[in-house]
Amino acid sequence: MAEVQVQEKGEKGGKVRSKKQSTRVDMTPMVDLGFLLITFFMFTTTFSKPNVMDLGLPAKPKENQKSPDTEIKLSNSISLLLGKDNRIFWHQQDNTSLTDATLNETTFDREGIRNVIKQAKANAADVTKFTVIIKPTDDAVYKNFVDILDEMAITKSEMYGVTDPKTWELAVYYKKVGGAAAPAATN
Amino acid sequence: MARVKPKRHPVVVDMTAMCDVAWLLLTFFILTTQFKKPDVEQIKPPSSISEKLLPDASLMTIDATPDGKFYFTPVENGTERMQVLDNMAQKYNLTFTDQEKVAFTKVQAVGVPMSQLKSFLNLPDEERKAYKSPTGIPMDSTKKELVDWVQQSLAVNPDYKLAIKGDVTTKYPRVKALFEGLRDIDFLKFWLITSQEVGGNPE
Repeated sequence: MAEVQVQEKGEKGGKVRSKKQSTRVDMTPMVDLGFLLITFFMFTTTFSKPNVMDLGLPAKPKENQKSPDTEIKLSNSISLLLGKDNRIFWHQQDNTSLTDATLNETTFDREGIRNVIKQAKANAADVTKFTVIIKPTDDAVYKNFVDILDEMAITKSEMYGVTDPKTWELAVYYKKVGGAAAPAATN
Repeated sequence: MARVKPKRHPVVVDMTAMCDVAWLLLTFFILTTQFKKPDVEQIKPPSSISEKLLPDASLMTIDATPDGKFYFTPVENGTERMQVLDNMAQKYNLTFTDQEKVAFTKVQAVGVPMSQLKSFLNLPDEERKAYKSPTGIPMDSTKKELVDWVQQSLAVNPDYKLAIKGDVTTKYPRVKALFEGLRDIDFLKFWLITSQEVGGNPE
């Protein structure tokens, strides 16, 4: 690959003079190759790392420690139920007022749940304490969970909690999932 | 005044120095690159908008496969791995031979219950790499071996970080069982491995 530039100027038969020979090697292709490989290795190093998202779980309350008062005003919070087949439901009711009609279904895309959260946030009495309560049912898959944490990041809802759905919520949810023939977005 | 003769300037630049630098950098990158090791089972992590990259740390990884099995990858460091194995052996009243310990430092991921770990480590290298456990590491309300692995690793070095890699279709109850187990041992901060959100959903 390297080209040795030898300039022979000696005449045959003449006095043998020490030839002025250039030992310079053309390094250009070698440098090219070097940088090409560097580029390759640089890209593979940075791109082989997976992305991560932080997750912090709340500590379990100790035996002798009373769990802190987690009463949240209904109007200041929104409950999201992650259901099966990537369906998602939300409500702002308590155990007495939650019915089929008030458990709304929405979708995971940006027009769906993101708007719901934004609206609920806008209507909240105290925006700084607006809380999203995420309740994945046993039918949910891991993707739903990550998606909804993503939505929290997008809508900048720093106050959110993950908990199990209550039995009264599950009752309505199963009624809704079992009853609805086709998943229709009723937002 | 004498006529200034146009001197013949050589246009050849000496590339040696540049070449040296290039190859030096190349060597550096070759030595620091870590190629992705083949996964025991195919796991497709869900996408997220997070752009944080997995930090360099002593990392243990828990893989959750689509059918709810758990695999545990201990930290890379060989001597610390052996300590982890010792701790686990002590907890489960097992003894491992030196040969098995050496095999343990080389495993990609552990996916067998403690009772089968011995026979798993005694498999020939090739078979061990291809071995897919039918059960994974047990993790339910009665047998919390997976959490024990994490706990015993932390006993060796409390600075270990944990990354959880779940599949898109992993059932949530399995993940919840893991989270609850981690809460039980007061290990509350970890990372979820996600993939970069691609197209279709611009923010």
